[in-house]
Amino acid sequence: MARIGVFVCHCGENIGRTVDCHAVAEGCKDVPGVVHSVDYKYMCSDPGQQMVKKAIEEKGLTGVVVAACSPHMHEKTFRRAAAGAGLNAFLCEMANVREHCSWIHEDREKATVKAIDITRTIIEKVKHNVPLSTIRIPVTRRALVIGGGIAGIQAALDIADGGREVILVEKGPSIGGHMSQLSETFPTLDCSQCILTPRMVEVYQHPRIKLYAYSEVESVEGYIGNFKVTVRRKARSVDEEKCNGCGACTQVCPNKKIPSEFDCGLGKRTAIYVPFPQAVPNLPTVDRNKCLLFMNRAKGRPDTCKKCAEACEKGAIDFDQQDRLITEDVGAIVVATGYQLYTIGKDQPKDNLKGYGEYGYGTIPDVIDGLQFERLASASGPTSGKILRPSDGKVPKRIVFLQCIGSRDPQKGMEYCSKICCMYVAKHTMLYHHKVHDGVATVFYMDIRAAGKGYEEFSRRAIEEEGAQYIRGRVSRMWREGDVIKILGFDTLEGEPIEMDADMVVLATAMRPQPGIDVLAQKLSVSYDQHGFINEAHPKLRPVETNTAGIYVAGACQAPRDIPDAVAMASATASKVLGLFANEMLEREPTVARVDEGTCAGCFHCERVCAYGAVEHKDIKDRAGNVVRVIAYVNPGVCQGCGTCEATCPSKSVELQGFTDEQIWSEIQALGV
Amino acid sequence: MTELRELARRLLSEGTVNAVLGWEEGPRGARPAFVTTPDGADRLIFDHRCVHNLASYLSPRRPHLKRLGKVAMVLKPCDARAVAGLIRETQVPRENVVLIGVRCGGVVTDPDSDATLSEATVADRCRGCPDREGKLADHTVGTAGPGFPGPSHRAQKIEELAAKPADQRWAFWQAELEKCVRCHACRQVCPMCFCDRCLADKTQPRWIESSPHARGNMAWHVARAMHLAGRCVDCGECERVCPQGIPLGLITRKIASVVAERYDFRPSDDPAVPAPVGTYRMDDPQEFIL
Amino acid sequence: MDSTTPATAGGFEPRITAFVCNWCTYTGADLAGTSRLQMASNVRIIRLPCTGRIDPMFITKAFERGADGIIVSGCHPADCHYNAGNYHARRRFAIFRELMDFLGVDPSRITFSWVSASEGAKWRDVVNDAVTRVRALGPFTAYRNMVVVQATAPKSSSPEHAGEGEGLPMQSLAADGVAPGASKEVTA
Repeated sequence: MARIGVFVCHCGENIGRTVDCHAVAEGCKDVPGVVHSVDYKYMCSDPGQQMVKKAIEEKGLTGVVVAACSPHMHEKTFRRAAAGAGLNAFLCEMANVREHCSWIHEDREKATVKAIDITRTIIEKVKHNVPLSTIRIPVTRRALVIGGGIAGIQAALDIADGGREVILVEKGPSIGGHMSQLSETFPTLDCSQCILTPRMVEVYQHPRIKLYAYSEVESVEGYIGNFKVTVRRKARSVDEEKCNGCGACTQVCPNKKIPSEFDCGLGKRTAIYVPFPQAVPNLPTVDRNKCLLFMNRAKGRPDTCKKCAEACEKGAIDFDQQDRLITEDVGAIVVATGYQLYTIGKDQPKDNLKGYGEYGYGTIPDVIDGLQFERLASASGPTSGKILRPSDGKVPKRIVFLQCIGSRDPQKGMEYCSKICCMYVAKHTMLYHHKVHDGVATVFYMDIRAAGKGYEEFSRRAIEEEGAQYIRGRVSRMWREGDVIKILGFDTLEGEPIEMDADMVVLATAMRPQPGIDVLAQKLSVSYDQHGFINEAHPKLRPVETNTAGIYVAGACQAPRDIPDAVAMASATASKVLGLFANEMLEREPTVARVDEGTCAGCFHCERVCAYGAVEHKDIKDRAGNVVRVIAYVNPGVCQGCGTCEATCPSKSVELQGFTDEQIWSEIQALGV
Repeated sequence: MTELRELARRLLSEGTVNAVLGWEEGPRGARPAFVTTPDGADRLIFDHRCVHNLASYLSPRRPHLKRLGKVAMVLKPCDARAVAGLIRETQVPRENVVLIGVRCGGVVTDPDSDATLSEATVADRCRGCPDREGKLADHTVGTAGPGFPGPSHRAQKIEELAAKPADQRWAFWQAELEKCVRCHACRQVCPMCFCDRCLADKTQPRWIESSPHARGNMAWHVARAMHLAGRCVDCGECERVCPQGIPLGLITRKIASVVAERYDFRPSDDPAVPAPVGTYRMDDPQEFIL
Repeated sequence: MDSTTPATAGGFEPRITAFVCNWCTYTGADLAGTSRLQMASNVRIIRLPCTGRIDPMFITKAFERGADGIIVSGCHPADCHYNAGNYHARRRFAIFRELMDFLGVDPSRITFSWVSASEGAKWRDVVNDAVTRVRALGPFTAYRNMVVVQATAPKSSSPEHAGEGEGLPMQSLAADGVAPGASKEVTA
């Protein structure tokens, strides 16, 4: 038989003013099972909590109902108090007679009747509460970081420095990401590679970081603390163990005219290549789509060119190398796959994107994008840091920058602001000014968004001290006349059309998530927005968690981010991961669904509605080991406790602990006439 | 018919299956038959009196059939939808059953009293039925009649009811529901009602009052309709077997039309097509939500 | 007037049971409280983790137990704490609502709404509108007293439903306003 204690709180005057709290306590006394019912001025105060504890101990209560404020306010307080007196915390519930009663009604009589109803409802629920204990699941204390850009590097280093092993998977042949392509960084103009490459080397040499470059995540199974990740190590055609990175192979490769991805097509590379001199790992990779040997193999012809293999003293070139699948157990995953730039031309990857054919990108060689300008300005770039036109190698004396290409343009591009363009365009005008002293830099902008430490000062400096001409307005069309780019635009401050000649034009294009992010997100069961950016669990309070427990997000795969943002997010994910790894066992709320194995018919409606993939198939075997039935099993490590499965289950064979059918039924019954 | 019998004989004599589930001649018209020997195949018939949905025998909760091992089942296009449902809901492994499709141009309402198939006797679900053969079948035999044009009488009745004021609909259903004796024949015959322990038999808590009174009956038929939403294959068996003559087909048909209109879903004989309840679209209509 | 409905000097006061999700509507109702938004006192809230947890059986049971109206409320689309519970609930209740309508239950007795944690004022409006609407419809004795119809019908089964421990008051048909067709002869 239940022995329920009811504790009605006046909350000073907050409840007592409109609810006759004493009448509520009295009104609950005759409810079967209630052995103790009192009211008190401040139940959450220390004396109030002592009252609860004392009653539990003296009256041997099997359940506690605190009629006071919202459970969101003090449920934890009273559950802790109950636990302190030896009662299972989940046998304590709150009846909300403040927010849902005294504060919203003025009629004392009606409010008191309602408060009694509310309290009696919860009394009936508590009669069916059962002791629950925190679920403990083991945690594999190793992390997977997906993406080897600055965010992934930072996350990997922070986690590894915190004492945990990290698997870092990078799709490309080298880590470093877009940051390694940049010349200088705003707002300090420090050299990007100078600050990045030491971190890259640190990753490579870190005893707790296992780097899988030129690799991709093939599949992910499991749940928080217990993921099983399969990584595809793509065939480089180079034996990592044997190669010493001498570079002899790349010297002899006859196919030397391949546009370099690292130089954004402004430089050339060979078919066997190291993307850039500081690459980590410093290993060449054979581009099988461009290598003569593989091109011949694809056509069914015999192997011809083996110059690289002949040049290799170590015998490291392996044309028959295959992709390898490697499985790793990890407890947490950080997604840091970064961004790509908006495609400017007419050919667009998605139907809703229209592109900007009117700017002649791709047909006018001297119209380039921001990353290409970075490569031109970089000392390690194809022009050794000289600003030269791709068309004729001349120094452009008139350079024009267009902001918001694809950003803030729901008609043709993205409605969002790409955040970094205002700043890097300001930086570009400065870099240009430093290198072409007599040149004129003009910027077409919509607004200047320079929110960030030192950002506004930086963009003012570009305008006031470094001579950049800023024009508020858009360019409608650009075309080539001779070696001059003609620009037709509109100055919205002057309210006048503008015609202008330029030697070179740089388009500040929108940031988009990496291609294939949707496929990866589906493998991870994390949600993403309509643009493909990974959704954070809460925009304010859980900015680096995804809605899948144990998977975190850092950098520009979540939204457009600059370097300081990406690094801050990465460190935040590391702190989340290290927090998760602080204990060998992970504790979770026990309000999860549980299947009645005796009655489950195995229709798996529950599996279809579970947003978390928490429902697994479980074989029920006879003594001989034959599978006689297949039923549902809810993995308590994955279940988040929404209860959609229980409402869907036709035979009611799955029950959400804390909100069982029996509990809800009793509440409905209690409200009856 | 010869084609069907020959195929059944071959499947049995070659040992492909241990039993063929079909129809035979019975004292009160066609009735379900279990044929376990090659010679028994000659008992099999298929004609317009073979109204029964044999898919309900495939439920894993039928131990006597389960003991027979691999079986073949003769199925009409509408029965194929039920088998697809059972496969979709992991009740029947597809490889455990050989499906013999029979081409069908409609069946009668009552296999006993309706000896001939005509506009007057045709089962309501056959009116406007576009399927002459089930795509799910491994073998398809026989020839189909031309079928019957719609609209179904039930659809007309549903429209009539819908046009009435709510209290008249209430009165209509009260009169019908109070007849229910809770024999649960509708549940037992339904191929899609395959739970081990039905919600109606659950006592802790008891959502559905067990006594046969209108209020408990209401809860039972609401639960049944909700459980069958998007899953009902409209085989009409529940209404056919109801000893009290309650027009259960009106409820299932109504819900089917709601699901069709709102979610563009029609029961499919493709097990890979997901049922509409248990899935969702972000832009599902929500005109009823404030 | 049904003696079991809470009577006030003003006349019939409906009893409304609200099934709400913990994260949006319950919190929104909390906000209505902290904002001291005054509203009708007829609604009793049953808290659930998610609208996805709300079973149509809750509603039939509440009607059986004397509710005159029902509110089902949760997170707006895309806001579900559990990603998709509200989407599943939306399909479930779209169908349930049509079913109840078809069986003759006035759908305006059941209010569905999305109320976010920041919409305290919307919650007040949902509550007040539901109370006003259901008050106009009158008590839903037809539902909870359905069993009485059976008891007075010719083929009367015993009104025994002791398993439920409910002990319903026996009432005359006329008083309950049950449609006359309800007492017709059982044919079988």
